[in-house]
Amino acid sequence: MSPLGKLKQSNYQVAMISLIFIVVLGFWKPHVLVEGLQRGCLYAVIALPMALILGIVGIINLAHGEYMMLGGYLAYCLNVYTGMDPLAAVVPALIAFFLIGMASYRAIIKHVLGAPELNQLLLTFGLAMVLEQAANLIWTSRPIKLPLKYVSSSATIGSFTFGTYEFIYVGAAIVVLVGLQLFLKRTGMGQAALAVGQNPRGAKLVGIHVDRTYLLVFSLSIALIGAIGAIFMTRHSIFPLVGAPFTMKSFCLIAMAGIGNLAGILWCSLILGLGENFVLSFRGYAGWADILFFALIVLVIIVRSRQRQVK
Amino acid sequence: MRSSKALLYIVLSAVFFTLPLYTGVYLLNVMDMILIYMALALSWDMLLRSGQISFGMAGLFGVGGYTAVLLHLNAGLNPILSIVLGAVAAGVLAWLIGEAVLQLRGMYFAIVTLALAEIFRVIVRNLPDLTGGPEGTVLPSAIFAGNSTKTYWLTLCVALVSVIASEIFRHTRIHFALTSIRNDEIVAKSSGIDVFKYLVFIFMITSAIQGLTGGAYAHIYGFVSPEGSFSVDFTLLPIAMALLGGMHSTWGPVVGAVLLGVASEFLKLQIPYGHLLIYGIIIVITVLFFPQGIVGTLGQKLQRNR
Repeated sequence: MSPLGKLKQSNYQVAMISLIFIVVLGFWKPHVLVEGLQRGCLYAVIALPMALILGIVGIINLAHGEYMMLGGYLAYCLNVYTGMDPLAAVVPALIAFFLIGMASYRAIIKHVLGAPELNQLLLTFGLAMVLEQAANLIWTSRPIKLPLKYVSSSATIGSFTFGTYEFIYVGAAIVVLVGLQLFLKRTGMGQAALAVGQNPRGAKLVGIHVDRTYLLVFSLSIALIGAIGAIFMTRHSIFPLVGAPFTMKSFCLIAMAGIGNLAGILWCSLILGLGENFVLSFRGYAGWADILFFALIVLVIIVRSRQRQVK
Repeated sequence: MRSSKALLYIVLSAVFFTLPLYTGVYLLNVMDMILIYMALALSWDMLLRSGQISFGMAGLFGVGGYTAVLLHLNAGLNPILSIVLGAVAAGVLAWLIGEAVLQLRGMYFAIVTLALAEIFRVIVRNLPDLTGGPEGTVLPSAIFAGNSTKTYWLTLCVALVSVIASEIFRHTRIHFALTSIRNDEIVAKSSGIDVFKYLVFIFMITSAIQGLTGGAYAHIYGFVSPEGSFSVDFTLLPIAMALLGGMHSTWGPVVGAVLLGVASEFLKLQIPYGHLLIYGIIIVITVLFFPQGIVGTLGQKLQRNR
């Protein structure tokens, strides 16, 4: 059998197994299925901008979750001072964080693009600490949550009640994923960005302005994550440390999907979201859900290093 | 030349060991903190010499602390012995993690270590019968009944262990192996260095030092808790110290620890809730403008003037 046929067959088997799994889960613990879907999409929408930066600019941004946290605080401040609804604050957050992204790129990120990976990691780690502690100074470590009525809307099917507001994450994940794919495949700027991601020197040779592309991609990603922060804060409480776990989970998802595979991130996020909710559904063991991503990342690293050795 | 250097070391250690004779309790407590962070900064830098970066100090520090306190409390072991066993526990744990994830290096390793503190915190919080859960565990009394002179000697020993380990690593063939791995892994491999084995080994040793430090710290302050023992302070401060002082040397982290340790006493009083901000800024500025750190930059200047 040709390798392509083999691949298709294994894909088919994976699809069948996951379908059976989902049906069984749907009957056994329906809320795990629904909440897992919602949570998974939240992870996906957070991980996508990070994957974009890693894939094209080639930098792992350890301050990723901190930008999201700041987006949440921006929406909070807009609500407190102007009465703006946090969901409407998505638009100002996009604009503000595009500018913040530009400033961060010009002032900080640009200078370590050619430096060893070590310096990049250290720099973004330092940046994460600065943002976290600055938020701690300004807003204190007290969790903040806005009293919004619409977030607790729910629907009932038979005897099973679930929250419907969280489907906003599913919508956001689809919009961001499809939007990014269209941007990268269909627009001139997006194609240039892909080219730069594949080979910066080659892209430069054919006349693409590499630095400007980096600036655009970085600012766009920061704008997205800032806007996601605004959506995130409608449902969850925010505090200076809220972003840090999302940075690690995002990286876990990117490592699972493979760098440059945006659609794969969605599937991996669903696995993580369903898995976490599955653990959460057992009373007494709910606290262990937070280490699931760590087990996944270690597993992925072991599998990937085996693959590399075989090659 | 060699004998004068040895004399310098002897005089220096004599001064440090007799420090309690002519200083007060406050200064000794400040010295405790500086020496603890110095050991952490050195251990971090030792791993950095192989080109791998670890953000997991707080995690292994906490593991050492918890192991030491629980062994002392439940098995009735001598505190010093329990601190050593804390180091062993951190080392073994690092060996297991290293075996699993050091095959893929760079950012994969960095992120895994970044998650370590969080993971251990979750584990400790979820085993309340063993670890006291979210409240933590308090010892009936601190080590040496809180005698500040003896605790100072303990931290001094911990710091000395790390200084000596760092010097051994700098002056034996391990140094060449690690430097060549950092500069070019393929060249290192083709000159017969078992890259993976060396990396696991150095990760294990540095983690054991972090566990040792954590055990000493936990016994000095007499308690462990998920928030306190795995605090981000124990990752952030040592990194800032080692970077400011200068990477890839013994004296860089030592100088950085003394400078920032003294500064932090002042900063804690000035901005009690945000002093960590300063360390973040120090990391960013050092990486951007003088990645060699103070010792490295001064060294370059001196060589140029010659």
